[in-house]
Amino acid sequence: MSNTNEAVVSPPRRRDTLNERHVWQVYARRKYDEPLHEIGNVMADDVELAKVYARSIYDEFSWIEMVLIPRETIVTVIGT
Amino acid sequence: MISKRIDNAALFAVLSSLADNKQAVGRRYAYWCNGAPALEAAVAAAAMTQDELGHARTLYPLLEDFAQAEEAPEQIEPMTRTLHFHLATLDEDFAGWCDFVATNFLVDTALTTFFEAARDSSYDPLRQRARKIVQEEQMHFIHGEGWVRRLARAGGAVRKTLIASLQRLWDETLCWFGPADDPIMLQLQRADIIDATPDELRSRYLQKVMPILNALDIAFPVVFNVENKRWEVSQALPWERWLAVSRRLE
Repeated sequence: MSNTNEAVVSPPRRRDTLNERHVWQVYARRKYDEPLHEIGNVMADDVELAKVYARSIYDEFSWIEMVLIPRETIVTVIGT
Repeated sequence: MISKRIDNAALFAVLSSLADNKQAVGRRYAYWCNGAPALEAAVAAAAMTQDELGHARTLYPLLEDFAQAEEAPEQIEPMTRTLHFHLATLDEDFAGWCDFVATNFLVDTALTTFFEAARDSSYDPLRQRARKIVQEEQMHFIHGEGWVRRLARAGGAVRKTLIASLQRLWDETLCWFGPADDPIMLQLQRADIIDATPDELRSRYLQKVMPILNALDIAFPVVFNVENKRWEVSQALPWERWLAVSRRLE
């Protein structure tokens, strides 16, 4: 009889292996006199790919500045 | 009306090949704009498709300035062109995302290597386009490199499929730069249209792709020369299959 307390570790599904897991919040601004504001997010495990995706997806304006912030680094002060 | 056409068969041939390869890459990319494994990758694929087709659109009009275009004027327009001077591996649609990534990483980078050698070209129209293309290709390389790493590290059948895709492109991509004594590329180099011989172009290309492939334990017939710290081809390329005019393998 198997020990039901033993942890069963399954290999990741192929779909999960390729799925990106890290979320990057994208902030940008169009003019120097406006603050950086959130325009969306991208998912990528690699910061370089995240930059490619952000530039490809959020190309509706000629941004003068765009930054990425890993979601896991965001600290909640007041939660909703 | 063209007042005086340029008579340069070598440059005409290479420009034709560059335009056809850009056009073919763009068309193959286009089918995957909504078939990529992730939404972000699909949008990046669409952006790269636009870039590649845009590059082709800036190259085809240059052909009109050449005396060689007078023989067959229908061949300088992409809509009426029947010649195919692109790599033979681009004749068919991609079988899967790995083919897309392999083309992005190997073929696109090879063409960019040529454009980098033309950034100070003595042929002004090529110099102008080369600088813009090289700038836009930076993101393409990051995309290709990122996905090669992801697919290789996924292991199993995914890694195996990626390696098969890379292997299918390897020989023909390296051959595209031409043999060491390629009269066409050497003529361009002597005229300062590009700043490298075929072997130097191939060497520059290997320095870009091999560090990444080597770090992922993806083997190709190249060796790292520790004396001059350069990656070098260690196995003869299939020059017996090389079609010099169309710059592809039969």
